[in-house]
Amino acid sequence: MRLLTTVVGGAICGALVFGVWPEMWKSYGIMGGWLAATIVIAICWYMNHWIGMIWNEPGRIWVDQGWAVSSSGIVWAVVRFRAEFLQCLPTLVCCLIGGGLAGLLAAQVKKRHPAFNRKSPEAVCTK
Amino acid sequence: MYEMMSHYAGAIGMPPVSVLTTIFGAFCVAFAVIICWGRLVEDFGPIGGMMAAAFIIGTFWVLNHKLPGFGINPELIPHPEGGSKQFGLIYQGFRGAAPWVDMGTAIAAGMWVCGLCETGRGGRVRNAVESAPRVLATIAGGIVGGAIVGLIGWTGANLFGYK
Repeated sequence: MRLLTTVVGGAICGALVFGVWPEMWKSYGIMGGWLAATIVIAICWYMNHWIGMIWNEPGRIWVDQGWAVSSSGIVWAVVRFRAEFLQCLPTLVCCLIGGGLAGLLAAQVKKRHPAFNRKSPEAVCTK
Repeated sequence: MYEMMSHYAGAIGMPPVSVLTTIFGAFCVAFAVIICWGRLVEDFGPIGGMMAAAFIIGTFWVLNHKLPGFGINPELIPHPEGGSKQFGLIYQGFRGAAPWVDMGTAIAAGMWVCGLCETGRGGRVRNAVESAPRVLATIAGGIVGGAIVGLIGWTGANLFGYK
């Protein structure tokens, strides 16, 4: 059941991002893209992570809706513009490397930085 | 310098300078989200999450994915070899003809690695295996949503033109 809501939450997030975002920046430029981030990601985050449509348990590895946005962007371009999947592989690998490096560093920061080690309970990944 | 930077473009599928910008852009957005988003939610509740969506994702979208837009060059700036010039840090292959790689990839990967590192040494493999079906379900959801939104370009519906 919770895996089903994860699929549904991911589908809604992916559909919203790639249905709304390109139209917003084509219509309103940079400000449209910024506004699209506000309206799309805010409501998707509220549904997927605050209410919890995407299955996350405390103390487990955080699964972010970014996975859905990622796969959705690739499949959207493949279906809509008949793009070839292999062409995006270098960028995809670079994105994973950059994100992984940030995760490594952020874990160390959370472990050692005084801002994350006050007497209040420690912050878990997002909630 | 430019010669050296673009020498290996054929072998790795993208100019080396774009490797640098892509990794840097992915690093920045993932680090900012992991560090700031949780604290914003702690401090402001759900409103904090929506603020984070606007301030972090919106602002980093400009850094990573922007294209010249309204009031700057709404028709895009043409590349001498065809296509449009790119301005975002995250490189889109083949002058935008490759499938779109979103910075969500970087954020999700960063969150996952961060969670893996925060797990105690004994339970890392178990936690990674436990998270696999949830990651796969999220990716599957994204595939469904993206494919169906992509299909709207194929319908060829003539909404207001028929008699």
